[in-house]
Amino acid sequence: MMTISTEPTLPAVIRHLFPPFAGLPLGPLLTLSLRSMARRQPRLFDRLGEHRTACYFIDPVDLAFAFTVVPDAERSIVRVVRKSEAATSSVQIRGPILTLLSLLDGTLDGDALFFSRIISISGRTEAVLALRNTIEDAELSPADLLGLSGFLARLADTGILGALSVARQMANRNSRREAPGA
Amino acid sequence: MTSGRMELVCPAGTPATLRAAVQAGADAVYCGFRDETNARNFPGLNFSGEELAEAVRFAHDHGSKVLVAINTFARVNDVDLWKKAADTAAECGANAIIAADIAVLDHVAKNHKQIRLHLSVQAAAATPEAIGFYADSFGVRRVVLPRVLSVQEIAALNRAIEVETEAFVFGGLCVMIEGRCYLSSYATGKSPNLNGVCSPPEMVSYDDEPNSTAARLSGFTIDRYEPGEPVGYPTLCKGKFKAGGKTSYLFEDPVSLNAGGMIAGLKAAGVTALKIEGRQRGKGYVTEVVRAFRKAVDAVEQGGDATEIDRILASQSEGSRQTAGAYSKKWR
Amino acid sequence: MSGIALTLGPVFFHWSPGLLSDFYRRIADEAPIDRVHVGEVVCGKRMPFSDPVWPEIIERLERAGKEVVLSTLAAPATVRERRSIEDLCGDDRLVEINDATALPSRAGKPFVTGPFLNVYNEASARFLIQRGARTICPPVELSLAAVGAMAGACPESEFEVFVFGRLPLALSGRCYHARIHGLHKDSCQFTCEKDPDGLAVDTLDDQQFLAINGVQTLSNQVQAFCPAPADLISRGVRRIRLSPHTCDMVEVAKTHRALADGREDPEAARFILSCLDLPGTLVDGYALAKPGWQAATSI
Repeated sequence: MMTISTEPTLPAVIRHLFPPFAGLPLGPLLTLSLRSMARRQPRLFDRLGEHRTACYFIDPVDLAFAFTVVPDAERSIVRVVRKSEAATSSVQIRGPILTLLSLLDGTLDGDALFFSRIISISGRTEAVLALRNTIEDAELSPADLLGLSGFLARLADTGILGALSVARQMANRNSRREAPGA
Repeated sequence: MTSGRMELVCPAGTPATLRAAVQAGADAVYCGFRDETNARNFPGLNFSGEELAEAVRFAHDHGSKVLVAINTFARVNDVDLWKKAADTAAECGANAIIAADIAVLDHVAKNHKQIRLHLSVQAAAATPEAIGFYADSFGVRRVVLPRVLSVQEIAALNRAIEVETEAFVFGGLCVMIEGRCYLSSYATGKSPNLNGVCSPPEMVSYDDEPNSTAARLSGFTIDRYEPGEPVGYPTLCKGKFKAGGKTSYLFEDPVSLNAGGMIAGLKAAGVTALKIEGRQRGKGYVTEVVRAFRKAVDAVEQGGDATEIDRILASQSEGSRQTAGAYSKKWR
Repeated sequence: MSGIALTLGPVFFHWSPGLLSDFYRRIADEAPIDRVHVGEVVCGKRMPFSDPVWPEIIERLERAGKEVVLSTLAAPATVRERRSIEDLCGDDRLVEINDATALPSRAGKPFVTGPFLNVYNEASARFLIQRGARTICPPVELSLAAVGAMAGACPESEFEVFVFGRLPLALSGRCYHARIHGLHKDSCQFTCEKDPDGLAVDTLDDQQFLAINGVQTLSNQVQAFCPAPADLISRGVRRIRLSPHTCDMVEVAKTHRALADGREDPEAARFILSCLDLPGTLVDGYALAKPGWQAATSI
C-alpha cells in the first residue's frame, strides 16, 4: 500500500490555483468550498435528498490518499483519509483524479466511464445515482467547487478543463477499444 | 394523422438536460416530478414544482413544448398525490400531461380541460378499440405506441384511429409490454407500476469473484462479466439465463433501439411524433442524440434520407449495439 | 360456512383439446369450485385448437352447477383476435376482460377484470365498476392490504385475490418458446405445448427464478398464499383465484375450500399443497407486500 506523505499533494496544475486561504490543509479547504457552494446553490443539495448524509469515499487511484465526503449542504464535511478507510462509507468511487474531476463538469460521461470500468463504484448504488444525477444537473465547473471567482475562476477552469480534455480523449480511446463488435 | 412536420419529443431528466435538449433542437421535451408519479423515479432525478415552472418558461421562450409524465398507477388511498401532480403541471402551463392510469386520466379530463392528454406507453393501448376507449372516455389526443408494433401495423393503426401517434425511435428498449410487467417487483418488491422504478439501484450489487464480476439484483444473478469486459446495469429482462438446456440473453440482447433509419417509413405510416427515450441519461448523451435526430428529421421532411444518422449515433448506445426492434417484423 | 368463493382461473398454457376436456370434466365432477374461467388468454394462435372443445366443456361445467366466465386475450393484436373478443363480449355469460380492447364491446354488460388489467386504486376501480365490473382481480403484485383497501372503498363490487399458481409477471410481443428454438412467433410450431406448466428459466448460478410460456413470463415459484378466511373477510375480499397447473387441481381446490371454510388452517393447507407435484417451491411474498419470490410463511 502507498504511504501518505505529510502534505497531501495534487497535480501541480490544480495546486497552483488555490484560493487565498491556501495555507489550510486540504480537508478543511474543500469542506469550506463545499459549504460555500451550498449557500450559493441550495437546490443542488435539495436534489441529493436523503443521500446528503451519506458518506462517499472518493479514491483517486493515482494519488497517495483518498477523500470522504458527506455532502450535507452547509454541514458538509470533506476529509483526507488513508485509502484503507473505505469501510465506514456508503459508497466507494475509484478512478484517476483527472477523470473524477471531469465528471464534475460533465465533460466525461459517468455512465460510459463506469460501464467501461475506467472508474469503479461499489456500495449503495442509489446513493451513487443520486450523486450522479445531482452533478449532471449542477453544471459545475472546477471553479465552482473550489469556491473561486473572477480571474482566478477563469484560470482554474481553463487550466483544469484543458488538462481534462486530454483525459477525455484518453477515456474515449479506451472505451472504443472495449466495446463489443456490432 | 400527420399533416405537418413530425415532432421530435426528447427526454429531460433534470432542468439542465431540459435546457440542453431544447437548445439542441427538441420540438417538445418530456419530464416528471421528483416522486413516484412518474415511471423514472430514480434518486436525484426529475423536477420540483418550482423547477417545472421555470422549465416551462424556458422551453416556451425557445419555441419548445413541455409534456409532463404522470404515468404511473396511483396508489390506493393516495390518489391525491397523482391528482396534485396533474394540478401542478397544469398550473405551470405545461402543454400536455402523459398519463396511463384511469384515475389520473379521469381527473385531468374533468378538471383541466385546457391541457392536452397524451396516453402513455404504460397504458399499453395497441388496438383501435383500446385507443378508442381512452379517446372516448377521456378525450386523449395522442397515444404513445408500445414498442411491439411493426411499421406496417402502425400504418394500419393510424388508418383506424382518430388520435395522433407518437413512436419511440431511440434509446433503451423494453421487451415486455410496458405498464404490465412485474418482473421487477417479483425480484425486488419494487416495480414501474408500484413505485415508478424497474430494477431499482438499491437492490443492485456488483460482486467481484475470482474470475469474473457478477451483476445481481436482489441476489439473483442477472449477468456475469470477464475481467476488463464492460459491465452493464442488471436490468432484469436484459440478463443472461438458462432455459431448455441453453444459456442466452433469453428475453433480449443488451442492445438499444435505433430506428433512425426508419424515420421516413414512420412518417409514411402516419406517425405524428418521434420519441427519444432516456430521462436517466446525461446532458452530453441527450445533446448528441437530439442534435443527430434534429438533422435526420429535417432531412426527411425536406425529402432526403437519414442514413447518416446511424454513423452519428453508433457510439451512443448501451454496449454500442443497436437494433431496429419490433419495427422490423423479424424481432418476434 | 364462510363467505369466500372459489374461482378457477383460465388455463395459461397450451394444453391440447383432449387435455382440456379431461381436465374440465374432473373439475365439473369433483372440484368444489363456484366459478370457472374458460378460454385462451395468452396467445391467439392457440385458439383454433381449443375453440372446438369449449362449447362441450362449458355445457358440462354448467350442468354441474358451476358459473362459467369467458376469459379474453390479454394482448390482442391481429384483426382475428380483436374480432374474437368482440364475439365473446356479445355472450350473456360473464366475460373476463384482460385488455382495454374489450371494454367498448362489453359496454352495458357486466364483466370481471382479470389480473392483466391495471386496477391499482379505488378511483380506477370505481370507474370500471360504473362501467359494469362485477368482480375485480387486480394485478398479482398488489398486496392483500392494497386489495383490501380498494375493496373497502368499493363495497359494491367483489374483489378477488390470486392465491395459487405460477404468477403471471409479464407479456411480450416476442415469443420466448419460439426464440429458444431459433424460431419466430409467426412460424413457432407451437413448441409451447411441450411445457404444460411453463418452461423453467434459471439464472447463471442455477437459481430458480422465472418460467416462460410462449409470449408470457411467469414466476418459477408457485404462489401459495393460503390466507385464513378471517384475514380476507375482515378486508372485504370475498373471492380467491386458483390458476390451473398439471398437478391435481381437484386436490388444490378441496384444500382451498377447506381453508376457506375454516376446516383447515393455513399451515396445514400449505403442507398439503407442498406434497403435490408442483412446478416450483411455494411463495407468497406479494400478498404480504414483499418481493414476490419470498417463501411462504405464516402471516
